Amino acid sequence: MKKIHQRACKLAALLVLAGMFLTVADAQIRNEDISCFHCHSSEVKEFEKSVHYDRNISCADCHGGELKISGAAVSITAMFTNFTGVPTKTNMTEFCSRCHADAGRLYRESIHWRELEKGVAIAPACTDCHGVHNILPRDNPDSPVYPDKVPLLCADCHENQTKMSAWYYGIQTDRFDTYKKSYHYKALLVGGKGLAICSDCHEYHDVKSENDPASAIYPANLPQTCGKPGCHPGNSALITGGKVHEGQSVFLLFIDAKKLVTYFYIIMIIFELAFTLGLIFLGVTSKYELRRRH
Amino acid sequence: MGLQFKRFTLNQRIEHILFFTTFILLAYTGFPLKFPDEWWSRLMIASVGGFDNRTLIHHYSGLLMIGVSVYHVVYHLIEKPRFDILFNLKDLKDFQQQIRYFFRLSDEHPKFGRYTWKQKFEYFGAGFGAVIMGFTGLLMWKPFEAMQYFPIGVVQIANLFHTWEAVLASLAVFIGHFYDEHFGKFPNISWVTGNISEEEMREEHPLEYEEVMQNKETDEVVHETDEKRSILVLFGKMVFTIVFLAICIWMLWISYHVLVEAITTYLL
Ligand code: HEC
Ligand code: HEC
Ligand code: HEC
Ligand code: HEC
Ligand code: HEC
Ligand code: HEC
Repeated sequence: MKKIHQRACKLAALLVLAGMFLTVADAQIRNEDISCFHCHSSEVKEFEKSVHYDRNISCADCHGGELKISGAAVSITAMFTNFTGVPTKTNMTEFCSRCHADAGRLYRESIHWRELEKGVAIAPACTDCHGVHNILPRDNPDSPVYPDKVPLLCADCHENQTKMSAWYYGIQTDRFDTYKKSYHYKALLVGGKGLAICSDCHEYHDVKSENDPASAIYPANLPQTCGKPGCHPGNSALITGGKVHEGQSVFLLFIDAKKLVTYFYIIMIIFELAFTLGLIFLGVTSKYELRRRH
Repeated sequence: MGLQFKRFTLNQRIEHILFFTTFILLAYTGFPLKFPDEWWSRLMIASVGGFDNRTLIHHYSGLLMIGVSVYHVVYHLIEKPRFDILFNLKDLKDFQQQIRYFFRLSDEHPKFGRYTWKQKFEYFGAGFGAVIMGFTGLLMWKPFEAMQYFPIGVVQIANLFHTWEAVLASLAVFIGHFYDEHFGKFPNISWVTGNISEEEMREEHPLEYEEVMQNKETDEVVHETDEKRSILVLFGKMVFTIVFLAICIWMLWISYHVLVEAITTYLL
């Protein structure tokens, strides 16, 4: 009896030891070349989930520094060799373009970049849209640039009165509100697929002003933008002058037809409600009255 | 309760069934898109098997409804146009009299003919509603084809009309019509049998009753046996009451929200 007990204890101890060894080994493998882990564990943990980690890119590819690690010893010199530090917001473009030449080139054409260059600090750099260490591929639902989330991403600035105060940038902050009323967004919310999001109409890297003839939303370019394959191809040589966010006003003898329709129906519906409910009420009460009288 | 009176022909009953099934389907697949944030929208869309199905059902029931409406007009113009459905001066008097009666200003309830003023309103309301919904719906189905002939603003106005008219029509049908024709006289199955009882005829269409009894038009009068009120009817009434109240609350919620949205965007 005692022997069996002892054996069980030994076995358990062995198992625990093996387990410990395995976890250590595992950690060793995962952080094998990350000497930075000891001092920057939160960055490393975030980084481990990112697309860059999956493609074997290391801290050093972005920050420089010494990655080699000798056992469990903390390498104090990790940040001395070749260390390049963190990029500022303005040289972020340069920083990421080393590997993402196309994205960088397109982004450099955008109004976001031009404003940033001018010194508008809130204009987005790569990391404002993609995150820093936790960058995920665009088809990952957790990514901030996953199609369903893009409107929220853009709205974070473009719907924010304090960030985009109209008197300062001269830019409307109702773009998400107006987009919310469109079929595109409503259908997107209830499970529609392939519907236009901000970045489909405005592009995502080379976002340009409406007044820029090279912009996707420049009136003359709208047919091409709306006619993208999968959207409205073939029959879009006709969408001109249409305002997508504000909508287009149609006037009947100086009266805005949209207002006219709205006023008309507001009255009709109030009338209808009052009438139906009122008659039901009157009918019911007079029926009771009848019963009482007879 | 021996005599039964013919009220709807088979043709009319089929039209009515087609019209209301498409109407319910359209409302069921339409309102969720107007309120995509609500929990019930997701439930309703999931219940028809996803967004694509919703669109399919909405489009084809719309087409069917247009079909039925066109058929109705053509058929009744060709067959035997009846003019007692048109408004006349008596309706105005009936209306006045009914309101006076409701407010106890008079003891006399107006005597209605074959169609009461309210039923005429409902009929023409449904008619104009179908026209508006049909045309604007077609514009919205093919916006880019529509834009070959109209500016985009017209399509956007079509959109406005479509929502508003949908709310108005649903209010009229789901509250007004349901209450008047089904809730108040449950179970009213004249939409299936086409007949109404003598009692009902005498109470609700006294003028027509007198006329028919004088002329003794045999094809208008059908004999049938008595029906019994069973526990089933009671149960049915209970279920219908719950459904009716739920729909009423839903409709009031919807009208409140469209009104608030319109007032905040256009009036404030
Ligand atoms: C011995 C601990 C230690 C190790 C190992 C270490 N760092 Fe650091 N690191 C620090 C400290 C402390 C700071 C904060 C310095 C400061 O705030 O000025 C820092 C700051 C940084 C910064 C921000 C610099 C700035 O200008 O704000 C970056 C980037 C960085 N480390 C990257 C790395 C990378 C990459 C590695 C691995 C190659 C690494 N570190 C390894 C301790 C360490
Ligand atoms: C894709 C390039 C890239 C990689 C790979 C990368 N970083 Fe960074 N890191 C950045 C950028 C860009 C910033 C600047 C963020 C900012 O300005 O907000 C930064 C900032 C930092 C900072 C400073 C954070 C702060 O709050 O000031 C630390 C520390 C850091 N990184 C550590 C690491 C470590 C450790 C690794 C490896 C696990 C790593 N980075 C991998 C791009 C990278
Ligand atoms: C205004 C926000 C925004 C900024 C700023 C931005 N991106 Fe993007 N980026 C996006 C969106 C949205 C997508 C997803 C596009 C899609 O769904 O096809 C994307 C996709 C990408 C992709 C993958 C797809 C592709 O077409 O290349 C890369 C790589 C990328 N971005 C890198 C960058 C780099 C590098 C920068 C800085 C130079 C940058 N991004 C700046 C919003 C942004
Ligand atoms: C050392 C090269 C390198 C640097 C520097 C780098 N990346 Fe990457 N990045 C990659 C590689 C490789 C991939 C994987 C590409 C792929 O899967 O097609 C990638 C993928 C991405 C993706 C996902 C692309 C997709 O398919 O959705 C984004 C977004 C991205 N990087 C953004 C950035 C941003 C922002 C920076 C600057 C902070 C940056 N990268 C810096 C190499 C780099
Ligand atoms: C970090 C904040 C931020 C984010 C995120 C952002 N923007 Fe911007 N955006 C700006 C700023 C700042 C400007 C410059 C406004 C100005 O000076 O006119 C701007 C300008 C624009 C303009 C031109 C407006 C004009 O008046 O000329 C468009 C279009 C635009 N952004 C679209 C987008 C889209 C689409 C997205 C999402 C993919 C997006 N933005 C995400 C901050 C942001
Ligand atoms: C269906 C295409 C489409 C979608 C989706 C869309 N936009 Fe627009 N956007 C346009 C067009 C076209 C204009 C030009 C002005 C107009 O039509 O109202 C514009 C104008 C703008 C402007 C002002 C540009 C200027 O130069 O004045 C901003 C900012 C903007 N959009 C942001 C957004 C944001 C943020 C989203 C997502 C929430 C979004 N847009 C979604 C098509 C679109």
